[in-house]
Amino acid sequence: MTGSNSAEPAVEVSGLTKRFGAVLAVDDLTFSVGPGRVTGFLGPNGAGKTTTLRCLLGLASPTAGTATIRGVPYAHLAAPMRTVGASLEPGFHPGRTARAHLRVVCLEAGLPRARADEALALVGLEDAADRRLLGFSMGMRQRLALAETLLGEPDVLVLDEPANGLDPEGIAWLRAALRHHAAQGRTVLVSSHVLSEVEQTVDDVVIIDRGRLVRACPLAQLAAEAAVVVESPEAGRLAEALRAVGVASTQTGPDTLTVPRGDPAQVGHLAFAAGIELHGLRREADDLEKVFLRLTGADQERPA
Amino acid sequence: MSGQIRAELAKIRSTRTWIVLLAVMLGYVLLNTIVLLVIDLLPQDGGGEDVPGVPTIANEQGVRNVWASAGGGYVITLILGLLVITTEYRHRTLTSTFLAQPRRLRVVAAKLAAAAAASFAFAVVTCVAVAAVAVPVLAARDAYALPAADIAAILAGGVLGSTLFGVLGVAVGTLVRNQVAAIVGGLVWLLLGEALLIAFLPSVGKWLPGGAANSLVQATSFQGEALLSPGVAAVVLLGYTAVLVGIAAATTLRRDVT
Repeated sequence: MTGSNSAEPAVEVSGLTKRFGAVLAVDDLTFSVGPGRVTGFLGPNGAGKTTTLRCLLGLASPTAGTATIRGVPYAHLAAPMRTVGASLEPGFHPGRTARAHLRVVCLEAGLPRARADEALALVGLEDAADRRLLGFSMGMRQRLALAETLLGEPDVLVLDEPANGLDPEGIAWLRAALRHHAAQGRTVLVSSHVLSEVEQTVDDVVIIDRGRLVRACPLAQLAAEAAVVVESPEAGRLAEALRAVGVASTQTGPDTLTVPRGDPAQVGHLAFAAGIELHGLRREADDLEKVFLRLTGADQERPA
Repeated sequence: MSGQIRAELAKIRSTRTWIVLLAVMLGYVLLNTIVLLVIDLLPQDGGGEDVPGVPTIANEQGVRNVWASAGGGYVITLILGLLVITTEYRHRTLTSTFLAQPRRLRVVAAKLAAAAAASFAFAVVTCVAVAAVAVPVLAARDAYALPAADIAAILAGGVLGSTLFGVLGVAVGTLVRNQVAAIVGGLVWLLLGEALLIAFLPSVGKWLPGGAANSLVQATSFQGEALLSPGVAAVVLLGYTAVLVGIAAATTLRRDVT
């Protein structure tokens, strides 16, 4: 059941568009997710992550484009839960016990009912198996949702914000579980609105903002993309000079310009040629979260 | 498919809601049964005599009414059917259900079957309870002796009506989705809307779901109007279910699940 056809992407999203009335939630989105790696699906709240995953899982129908798993739409998979373990915002009947909930899912998915107890043990919930879900904390609900994804021993995991509500111990456990899954040649797609939450877990990132793809690349590549920060009393004139050669920059302080993915040598040369005084020129040494925020425009005011 | 039906039955069994529903059904039905058994003893103008127009257990219609009360639980099995689907909307468990079984019509079909099975069981238990109360009282009070075959036919009609109403509830709930709206709407419709129609416009009322359920347990309305034959009544109830499921399949079931 592990990573057959390892070269082939497990998840493929192609030209996916989803419109809710006047709102374009997902806009011509294309990316693929390969096996043997943990892929972070990132973007600020409202970027369209959950909508994309709902289209991928057959819960919402795309306005245009396709989203497939192993080349077929989720609803056409012969044994969906044996292929994909998916969890979205957990919804449980409060009057049902954890074990009863999972047994119901086993019956629906045609899985042996013994899998319910096995999955509860995998997420450390065996002692809470007979408790009604009314008394479950958010962290316990997240663990139960994860247990549900593991019922069919699937090759592909698709998890929407699985770290929400988990305590630090839970997050560490989740990280290890996802790394272990990927190390077996399986596929993991995990969404988050905070890069730092998954920074130590993911190999690749797919970043979206306002429904559009911003970046799909290995995490390491993202780290090399820190911006150039340049300080000058003539910041405005420098911005003009940069714009003249087609380099975009944003004023991030009274005397500070930030050049996304800029080249310090190019910026220094332009300033020299234009006779602009510089007080500082450096690659941004910030953490990845800043890169992420800049890519998604979350550090700027958004146009209405 | 059998796994899907077993899953739906497990959903019903694994919370305590069914116990409450069964208790309410027994209480509601038995209250009616008892009133009909002792209607001649209740204080009314003219004292404890056989007042014309009020059938007591001294005559055939009065005894028929006692047994027909066993079929009155269809109001509760309707709610059972409504809950089978609207609970999934209310607690957002439909995501989990459709991930395990993406073929949505198959899920609804399993819910129809599970609601039928649970409603049937509820109705049989109710009939046993009615018999446990009615048989000793009828014997002790020297009532009209209704042939056993007639009693069996009335009870069978009651069980059929309650079962079909459970199925109808799933169909209505699939369309309405909102749990409170479905239950309140269903109760107002049955207990007020249909009650008025069957009283004042019996020729129309008997073709409505409640009228059809009444047709399954008695030949005439309380006003003496002829109702539907049992076969026609069953087809009418199944027809409503089929039409509603058809509409739901083309509308609510195609919608995005959030």
